[in-house]
Amino acid sequence: MNEHDAPVLDSLEELALTLAEVDADGALQETAAVAFPTTRFTFLKRSVGALAAGAAGLFAADGAAAVGQTKNDIQILRFDLVLEYLQAGLYTEAERLGALTPKTLDWARVVGAHERAHLVAIKGLLGRNTVPSPTFNYGNVTTNERAFIRTAVAFEDLTAALLKWQAPRLDSRGILAAALTLHSVETRHAAWIRHQVGLQPAADAFDKPASQQQMARLIASTRFVAARPRLAGRRRPRVTG
Amino acid sequence: MRRRAVVVALGLAAAVAFGVKAVQDAGGGAPAVDDSFATAVTELPGSARPAFRVGRPVLLDRRESRARFAPVLRSVEALAQPRPDSASVATIATETPEGTTNIVLILRAVSRQDGTWVHVRLPVLPNERTGWVPRSALGGYQFVHTQLIVERKRLTATLLRDGRPVFSARVGIGQPHWPTPAGEFYIRDKVSGFGDPFYGPVAFGTSARSAVLTDWPGGGFVGIHGTNEPELIPGRVSHGCIRMRNADILRLARLMPVGTPLTIR
Repeated sequence: MNEHDAPVLDSLEELALTLAEVDADGALQETAAVAFPTTRFTFLKRSVGALAAGAAGLFAADGAAAVGQTKNDIQILRFDLVLEYLQAGLYTEAERLGALTPKTLDWARVVGAHERAHLVAIKGLLGRNTVPSPTFNYGNVTTNERAFIRTAVAFEDLTAALLKWQAPRLDSRGILAAALTLHSVETRHAAWIRHQVGLQPAADAFDKPASQQQMARLIASTRFVAARPRLAGRRRPRVTG
Repeated sequence: MRRRAVVVALGLAAAVAFGVKAVQDAGGGAPAVDDSFATAVTELPGSARPAFRVGRPVLLDRRESRARFAPVLRSVEALAQPRPDSASVATIATETPEGTTNIVLILRAVSRQDGTWVHVRLPVLPNERTGWVPRSALGGYQFVHTQLIVERKRLTATLLRDGRPVFSARVGIGQPHWPTPAGEFYIRDKVSGFGDPFYGPVAFGTSARSAVLTDWPGGGFVGIHGTNEPELIPGRVSHGCIRMRNADILRLARLMPVGTPLTIR
């Protein structure tokens, strides 16, 4: 048994409760139920499966570590980059579609601008080890204000929890120092949005981490990451000429 | 009475001064708490330089043009109104005649009790037809900031990005009996490497359709492509397609993403 399992499990159950708190009609709770199993046995079974299959493979490093970055750090940074793509995409789409009220748009515009800046910074650090953005399908979340707020709260909380899990696992102290500059901003986002929507901004004296594997499963269960449409081909054109 | 108070105060001050002196003599001068901080700082290693610094927040440009499209996830009936009992306008397939993912240009969306409905431009005859489909039938939105304008009288094509021209070329259009249709359309796909010099190196499929060549393979869609007869451009020379010299279509292929709205006038 991994020595980190117990605290991670506790924190995930806690995060599941947090999600339930902001998720009155159960959409995200359903997601959380998949990502945050209620028994240690189920948790371990799913962890082994996730590590062997999708989650770990999706974000695996290619072995070509850049100077000053270990394979481990590249894997962590790539995971963070995909998460930033996901978050930045959510805020960008919501802002472009123009369905948010001015009050929500006020913070969504600022938080979105921060997430896009994070994305640029992590991509710059990864250099040739970067990964392209997946294609996202946010469904109605970017046009339904309530769903958008719930999703934003959940993602900001979870990102802060993830960075806490990753921090002690980073090899480079320079990357750790940089990651901490992101972490505090993500927690500010979480508290800010929580305050705006009437939730307790800082409910506990201590926060707990959420693992990368659990985060990957949560993202997968939202179905926000979609198959990339094939917009180009090599067949002979069937146009009138 | 007053004199007695002054004497007491002087006595207290002397006692405090004596006490402070005694502490300083015993502890080397600085208060104990400051000593602790000084020791802790000297024992720490030097700080690591952050591997990256996050730059300024990246705000969206409010002047950007924002057309959006979405892939068709499942074959679906486009309806005249945004409700399930409305009449069907057309069936939308999941693939184009070139085997790429079919897409639709999004005009607007409405949320109702039975879900979100999206008003889309359709690649069907009569041209410029629109219809409503459930949001769930479509994939994620993708945004483009470009628009292609083809002027049939002037025989030109101009690509705008965020409203500013970034490309212009002379074109060939349909002969009078196979006219290139006018209207609002969009770019559906891009094909290359097919090895047919008649279409040049690159061809774009559009949602526009010839109203007369309906029996053409694929249904008579209007394309934008290169040519093996550059001397005919500009002119009214095609079966309805928009032809460009190969150098121009290659340049356009680098600048124009699939999903770009197309205006033919």
